[in-house]
Amino acid sequence: MAVEKKTETPALVGKFWPAYRDRALLLVGGTQLFIYAIAILAMFTFHVSINPLEWLAIIAVGIASIIVICVVVLGVLRPLGDLSRALVHISGEPTGLTAPNLNDDYYAKSHLRPLLQLIYELAASQPESTEQHAKANASKPAKQTLDVPSLLNNTSTGIIMLNSDHEVIYTNQSAPVHTDQHGTTKIDLLFDASDSIDTWLAERGDHDIRAEHVWRRIADKLPGEEGRRLFDIYVSYQKGSEAETILTLFDQTEQYGPEDEDLDFIAFAAHELRGPITVIRGYLDTLNDELQQALSGDQKELFSRLIVSANRLSGYINNILNASRYDRRHLKVHLNELPVSDIYESISDDMLLRAQSQQRVLNVNIPTNLPTVAADSDSIGEVISNLIDNAIKYSNPGGTIEVSAILAGDFVEVSVRDHGIGMPSNVLANLFHKFYRSHRSREAVAGSGIGLYITKAIVESHGGTISVHSVEGEGSTFTFTLPVYASVAAKLKAAGGDNDMLIERSSSGWIKNHGAFRG
Amino acid sequence: MAIHTILIIEDDRFIGEMYVRSLRRAGYEVDWMVDGNDGLAAARGKHYDVILLDIMLPERRGSEILQNLRGGAEDLIPNTKVIILTNFDQDEQSRVAMEHNADAYLIKAEITPKKLIAIIQKLDTN
Repeated sequence: MAVEKKTETPALVGKFWPAYRDRALLLVGGTQLFIYAIAILAMFTFHVSINPLEWLAIIAVGIASIIVICVVVLGVLRPLGDLSRALVHISGEPTGLTAPNLNDDYYAKSHLRPLLQLIYELAASQPESTEQHAKANASKPAKQTLDVPSLLNNTSTGIIMLNSDHEVIYTNQSAPVHTDQHGTTKIDLLFDASDSIDTWLAERGDHDIRAEHVWRRIADKLPGEEGRRLFDIYVSYQKGSEAETILTLFDQTEQYGPEDEDLDFIAFAAHELRGPITVIRGYLDTLNDELQQALSGDQKELFSRLIVSANRLSGYINNILNASRYDRRHLKVHLNELPVSDIYESISDDMLLRAQSQQRVLNVNIPTNLPTVAADSDSIGEVISNLIDNAIKYSNPGGTIEVSAILAGDFVEVSVRDHGIGMPSNVLANLFHKFYRSHRSREAVAGSGIGLYITKAIVESHGGTISVHSVEGEGSTFTFTLPVYASVAAKLKAAGGDNDMLIERSSSGWIKNHGAFRG
Repeated sequence: MAIHTILIIEDDRFIGEMYVRSLRRAGYEVDWMVDGNDGLAAARGKHYDVILLDIMLPERRGSEILQNLRGGAEDLIPNTKVIILTNFDQDEQSRVAMEHNADAYLIKAEITPKKLIAIIQKLDTN
């Protein structure tokens, strides 16, 4: 096998020393043998008589002297052997030999140490030389050195390298970075708070030697800002490496950008609708008061339908606005300490009117003595009204809709129950997806299919959960939870600074709201 | 303190008249200004118990008016309640800054006159 390998890989550094040593021994031993042969030949020629004992002595001395001379030659050549061993070692070639140890006394006495040291130092000053050398030996002659950093500036793919302290140590021109006032390079990437590269790297440090991760659709700027780019990002992590973390960023703006513009447009359109709906609802409210005496029973009913429809329209506009905010990761909730009964109170007139005008009985049981929750009153009002709307849609005239709230551990559980058509279990899994509507609803009931999607998003942004229990033909119960204020108060205060009246919290995974609209 | 006088700073005619009408019916004394400069002058020239302040206004934005009245070392309207009433989706930082100097921050589209009166009455009892 060793022979085969030699033929396959020519010009190995490691081959020099054994070959040279063997030739040297052959030469010295051979020369010695040759001299003896001449001497013996001469003795025969001149008929020198030698008895067998003397022959034995001559041959013994001859063999001994060859051995001695070979040992001496080996000793003389040892520095050459050590130097070539050191060279084999730094060349990176596979070898069973150990590298010469600089601390060996022999190297000090023979003054070989500085030479070995020089070899090691030269190798250390060119860290890549060993591998390159091995590769070059194995394949082609050494090629010209490439200026890789400047070549990487020619690609649209961004490259960022971080050291073990997560500091930026290299970026190419396409990388989304800026330099702050302290001269530090900062990465401009708007990760979700719950799934950022920082949190990912923090976990790696404790668990992994090497790891990879992919993020998709990460922007470098907020929507509406000039020159915004959207990236798919591949990150590799190699513990202990000089560039421990390497980010490769693929610019996908052309693919993702138009989708974002659509969302911007939807948000803008929904926002524009807010002006007129404010006026319509306001004047209906004003007229409702002023016309109470003037309207007949029948007209009152028509008027209340106007109010109900305007309120529902307002709710849909809010759903669209919130869904587009959520999709662009803009949705913010403004958490206050509130009793659930107060939240319901703010929408109760509207809900009662809505149920009455559609011949449903609304049965509300929200105890006023439940612990307060951390909630955005408007958003949770929308959640409850979406669920009641849903219950109205999927039940029959005359049906009862029950709204209730109970305490369950650190959460208040709010349920909206109807006794309507219900749903088979196979549709429940998709129920909270955008534009999903249940099996029969496509023909029978109007609706955008956005209500439950945004309802779930709002509840989860409060740190709550939503679930549904349904039996076909018997009805559905939607239940959502909100954290009891006391259980999250410390956390909220820490996040909200001194603003106790209206505590802000960036909901999980969302970035700051952004003034993209004018009104 | 009992709330009697209200200043509305609102540039939308329909919305302004709606608030004026319903608040007057509810028994309040109401002044209405349609641009930011007039609004600020009115707020500095006379005491009001409540100021309803829009954000997007001609001449001077609501945030500037609030800054002028309450942003300095001295609160120029210590006995006045300020209600921000807007459909404008401003960025979080500006919103928090305004909330700091205001008594309520409301989205117009969510607030019918009846709800507004309920909120004013609630401020009155606090």
